[in-house]
Parts: sequence; C-alpha cells; structure tokens
Amino acid sequence: MKIRTLIATVGIALITVMGGAQANDPAKLNDLQIAHVAYTADNIDIRYAHLALALSTNPKIHEFARTMIRDHEAVNTQALALLKKLKAAPQDNFLSKQLTANSLKLIDKMSKLRGNAFDKFYASNELAYHKAVNGLVANAFIPNIENAEVKALFKTGLKIFKAHEKHAEMMVKGLK
Amino acid sequence: MRPFQMQRREVVGWAAAAIAAAILPFTIPVFAETNRKPVTHIVDITDFVFVPKSLEVRPGDRITWVNKDIVPHTATADDKSWDTGALKPNERKTITVTKKLLGGYFCRFHPSMKAKIATQK
Repeated sequence: MKIRTLIATVGIALITVMGGAQANDPAKLNDLQIAHVAYTADNIDIRYAHLALALSTNPKIHEFARTMIRDHEAVNTQALALLKKLKAAPQDNFLSKQLTANSLKLIDKMSKLRGNAFDKFYASNELAYHKAVNGLVANAFIPNIENAEVKALFKTGLKIFKAHEKHAEMMVKGLK
Repeated sequence: MRPFQMQRREVVGWAAAAIAAAILPFTIPVFAETNRKPVTHIVDITDFVFVPKSLEVRPGDRITWVNKDIVPHTATADDKSWDTGALKPNERKTITVTKKLLGGYFCRFHPSMKAKIATQK
C-alpha cells in the first residue's frame, strides 16, 4: 500500500503540474524548455535503471533496465545533436524542476527496498512514469512545438516510450 | 523360419519407405521441391514495428532485417532458437531460411514488437 501511495502521490503531483491552467502550464513552454523537460525525463529514467541494475537480481528487471539506458541515451544523443545543429541550448523550467524533485523522493524510497519489494516498486513506477510522460508529450508538447525538426524528434520519441510503457505493463503483470 | 522373418521385415521396411516418399512431399510443404530460385526478403524495423509483420518464405531464401530506428533492436525466435543479435541503427543482418526459422519472433529489447515467418504456399 505504501508503495502504491507514493507512486500515486508522485503521479498526482505530475498531473497537477500538467493540468495547471495558469502559471505552470506545460502547454505554454517554448521549444527549448520542452527540450529541457525531455532531457531531464530521459536522465531520470536512466538513473532509475542504474538503481535497478544495482539493487535487483531479477533478469527481467535487468533486461528492462538495460533497454531504458540504451534507448533513453540514444534519444538524448539525437536531441543534443539537434540542439547543436540549431545552435540552441535547453532552458530549465518549473516542470524540469518538478520532475527532478519527484524523482529524488522516489530514488530515496527505492534505495531502501530489496528483493521482490524493489522489483514491484520499480516496475510499477516505470509503468506510471511512462504513462504520465507519454500523456504529457502527446497532449501538451507535440501540439505546441513550433520547430518541425524538434517536433519530429518528439514524435519518434513518443513511439519509443509507448513501447517502453507496453514493456513495463508486461513486467508488472509478470511480477504478480 | 528365421530367414523368412528377416525377409518379411525388409519387405515391410521398403514398403514403409516407399509410402513415406510418396506422401512426405505433400505433408511437409516446408521442404517441398520448387524450381523457384532463392530470394532475399527485406524486413524493415521502423517505428518499433517489423514490416512486414508476417512473411512467407521458402527454404533457401534469405531474410534481411534492417534497423531503421534510432535505437537498437533484435529479431529473436519466440523459443530463442535463433537470434540476429543487437542491430544498431542502420545495421542489417541476413539469415538463410531453414525450418527452425518458421514461427513467431520478437525484439528482445522491446518484447511488444512481434512478427512471424511462415511457409510460402
């Protein structure tokens, strides 16, 4: 129950930020701020994956974690190459800060878990995290990105992260 | 009596072989005789989908998987009996068709990606 409560809390926090119609509205972010959010979200998932490789002994968790590192690093490489080409730098913003703050709480919680408790928490969080971020990318980011190349990269990224969401769903079911 | 028994076994053996030779080409189409020259089938891996998802082949044909995504993929038999290994972006791998290639396969890194290889009729 505690695990579910924490994931739900983080999920609600993200949704609250996503749904804010006034000051903190993800739909109002510019392309460079959106790029910063995506880079931050990628790196957060890479950190979760490294934690999973260090703490889990489950081969399926390891396989998933290695895929997260491989794929998110690939997306980040593409994003940085595009920003370099556009001679632009990502801009920090409220949403990147919120994602980072939430992730630190989760990492702290996960670091104290072992065995099946860790595996279940990690898998459930991966599913919740990908669902939340995919919703954000599909509904708030892609419709509002102005630069065509940045938009194309986000569309590609969304396909990758939807596959991750399905994979996480399979992992959660397999752990029950 | 004994030599006669041996002869009878031989006759039965030859008859079984003749029947099998007559029936097998119709019951196991995987190895059916064909005059068609082997061809190479291309399977693109694009947007996390094997294209085509269902491929019909003949023994001796070749299948080339081409990774057009920005992340690595594999083509791996459902029963893990064959595997292309990791295909980096823009990499390709060709495997010659044998009976063991027939059936379902998936990407080890992204198990929701599935496809199948069947015998061409």
